[in-house]
This record gives sequence, C-alpha cells and structure tokens, in this order.
Amino acid sequence: MGNYVERFNARERILHWVVMLSFFTLVFSGLGLYSRLFHGYFNLFGGGEAAIFIHKYMGVVFLVSSILLFLNHFREMNSFDEDDRRWFKLLGGYLDRDPEHINSGKFNAGQKAYGLFMGIATILLGVTGFISWFPTSFPIGIVRLSLLLHGTLFLIFIMFVIVHAYLTTIGNPGTLESMIYGSVRRIWAKKHHPKWYKEISGQEKSS
Amino acid sequence: MAESRMAFLIDTSRCIGCRSCQVACKQWNKLDADKTVNQGTYENPRDLTPNLYNRIRFIEKTDGDSFKWLFMNERCVHCGDAGCMKVCPSPGALYRTREGFIAFNAEKCIACKYCVSACPFGVPRYGADDKVSKCHLCFDRIGAGMFPACAKACPTQTLQYGPRSGLVAKAKAAKKTVYGEADLAGLGVLYLLDDKPEVYGLPANPSIPTAVFLWKDVLKPLGLIGFWGSIVGVLTHYITFGPRKLEEETSEKGGDAHG
Repeated sequence: MGNYVERFNARERILHWVVMLSFFTLVFSGLGLYSRLFHGYFNLFGGGEAAIFIHKYMGVVFLVSSILLFLNHFREMNSFDEDDRRWFKLLGGYLDRDPEHINSGKFNAGQKAYGLFMGIATILLGVTGFISWFPTSFPIGIVRLSLLLHGTLFLIFIMFVIVHAYLTTIGNPGTLESMIYGSVRRIWAKKHHPKWYKEISGQEKSS
Repeated sequence: MAESRMAFLIDTSRCIGCRSCQVACKQWNKLDADKTVNQGTYENPRDLTPNLYNRIRFIEKTDGDSFKWLFMNERCVHCGDAGCMKVCPSPGALYRTREGFIAFNAEKCIACKYCVSACPFGVPRYGADDKVSKCHLCFDRIGAGMFPACAKACPTQTLQYGPRSGLVAKAKAAKKTVYGEADLAGLGVLYLLDDKPEVYGLPANPSIPTAVFLWKDVLKPLGLIGFWGSIVGVLTHYITFGPRKLEEETSEKGGDAHG
C-alpha cells in the first residue's frame, strides 16, 4: 500500500487541462469584446478580428471539453446527502480556523455545486455565444439578451474560477497533485474526503 | 458637442419622394446599385442596405376613400448618446466628427456586429466585406466646406443642414411634431412630422436598449468590483483563516528524520 491513491485518471486530467487552457484563451481573447477598457488584450492575438476568430473556435473547444468533463463527473456531483447539507451549513468550515470534521465523499458539497454550475453555465455560454456569432440571423432582442447574459455568466464564471484556483492550490496544499499526477496523498484524502477514502481503501482491501 | 453641433432637419411634409437624396448619396460615396424586385410599391429599395445609406420610406395612408403618401428620409440619425458607439469594442471604428455626427472607419472595424444590435433605430449594416456601413453624413464633404450630398441634391429643401440650435428653433416654430430634440441626448437628425412617430416607423421614445445599458453601465462596474473583490477575498482568507495544511504529514516527516 503506497502513500498515494488515484483521484483523477489520465483522461480526466487531460480533459481538465484542455478546459482550463481553452478557458483562459477565451478570457484573454474575449476581454476586449467585453469592454474597451481591455482593448490592449487584442494585441496578444494580433488584433481584434483575430481575437474574435480565436474566441469563436476556442469556444467550441471549451464547450465540448467542458461538457465532457461535466458528464464524466455528473453522477458524482448530482447527489447531495446529509453530510453535504452540513457542509453548506458550515460553509465547508472555511470560515473557521479549527473547522469541525465534515464527512465528505469524493467531492464535497461546494465542489458539487461548483461543478453543476459550471456545466450549466458552459451550456448557456455556448448558446448565447452561438447567437452572438450570427447576430443578423436572430431577432435583435434575443441578440441583445445573449450579449448581456454572455457577459454576466463570464463574470460569475471568472469569480468562481478565482476561488476554485485558490482552494485547489495554496488554500488546500496537496490538492494540485491530483491534477498533475492524478494521485493524492492518503492523509490528504483522509482529511478532505474521508467518506471517499473509506470507500476506496475498502475496495483495496477486498481486491 | 455644444454650440458647434451641426444637424439635419428633415421636414417630411416638403418631401415629394423623388429620391434624389438616394442617388446623390450613391454617387458621392461610390456605392453600387442593389438589385431589387417590384413588390407593388414605389418604395425602392425596401430597406437600407450596406450600399444604401439613406432612402425614402413610402408610407401609404388610406382614410376612407382618400389616399396619401407620407415620405420619410430614413438613415442613421446620429444620436447624441449613441448605442453603437457605446458597444463598439474597437476605438476609432465608429467615431464622432467635429460637427457631432458619427462616422466610421472600416479599417478599424473588427466585424463583431455589436453596433447592429445596439442601435435603437436598426440602422447599421454589414456588407460583403464584413465591415460596418451607414450614413456618415458626408464627413468628407463637410470637412471640405461642402454640403452633404443628399442635402445638396434635395430639390424641395426637405433636407436642411445647419447649426443644430438654429434648426431646433426653426422646427419648433413650425408647430408640428418635432422628433429627436431631446431623445438620446438629442439626435443629429431632427424630423418634422405630420403624424405620430410610429406612423413613420420611428420608435416613440427611442432609448439605449436596456440590455446594452445593463451590460455597459451596470455589469461593467460590478465586474471590476467582483473580479478584484474575489482576488482580495481569497488572499484575505489565506492570511486570516489560513490554508488547510496537512499537519499529520509534517509531524510524520519530522518523526522520520529523527527516527
């Protein structure tokens, strides 16, 4: 029994990296469209027209990869039990220096909610993006609403991503390993996802 | 854009529907003719196109046995507070001239088409080159001290060009419906109408579309607060509540080193 247990397999890790890299490409190519304040970011792509071109096609890459990742984890995210309700009540213990023990499964309640939101937001961003891609083919009111919704979802998205990036790196040391090597230390699993750890260590013994 | 703001006054009652303005505009701006089909009306073409910056709208009005036409010169009205300029992400693609009109520079247009959906009047068009096109009020002629081509060609003085304040006073003196005096910080193209604006296909109370307002005036400032707030938030969390360290491991490692 090694010190590490597998958390994400190679397919899941590659998917996540594709999602992440396409997401940041979309952010930087789209910022200049969101507001003239960020006009300078167009230069990263060699001008506004090139940025729009990349934004459109990278949007397709993001849409497909993000939905695949969403479907991959859907079953693990789409059930909330008593422990998850406790997680929400205690806000995951993040507002406590000495947090109570929460018996979370493979994903805690916050991660589940985050994953579900990201899936739904991805689809909405895809739909509104598609409409904005062909603005003269849709009623003007729908295009206006799409542009507004696209910007609003982007904003919520980026705020969640900041929190996500914090919690999976410096906020919870040891977490990043699951995205790089795929495996995490046993003490990490025991501390953050005890219910999940119990499951997989039970499987290890029986096999 | 104050005293020096110039404007158009379109006195619709003077218009005879000759369409000299359409032709003069095409000629000056070297715009190709559009192929059209007869659809049972003298109105031609039926809509603005990338090659048609202004046109005469023929409104057929029947009242019992009597029939009459209302003619209206349709074009970009050069809003004082313009939706197109508000959303355009490419500085200089749409710009305000010294006279207060909105001209465009196709070279700077990045073909996002945001102006199409932001215009309260549905004016901007995109041509085969995928660049914005609309009436620029002959900025090139005005710059050279000439009259706009359409106004120059108008035989009935329907299209009058001059200082905006003077034209507003003139329009008011006519005791008819004046359109565009105050809407959207004042339109650069004022209309004198014989009927309600809706009859001419003009919005009664034109304004920046709500979605555009929410995006540019609400979401944008909220976004800056949200983005930096999130960054400050997580950093504050890091130095107050702190990270969730794997304490057992550090003690284990320490044990190993000494053991």
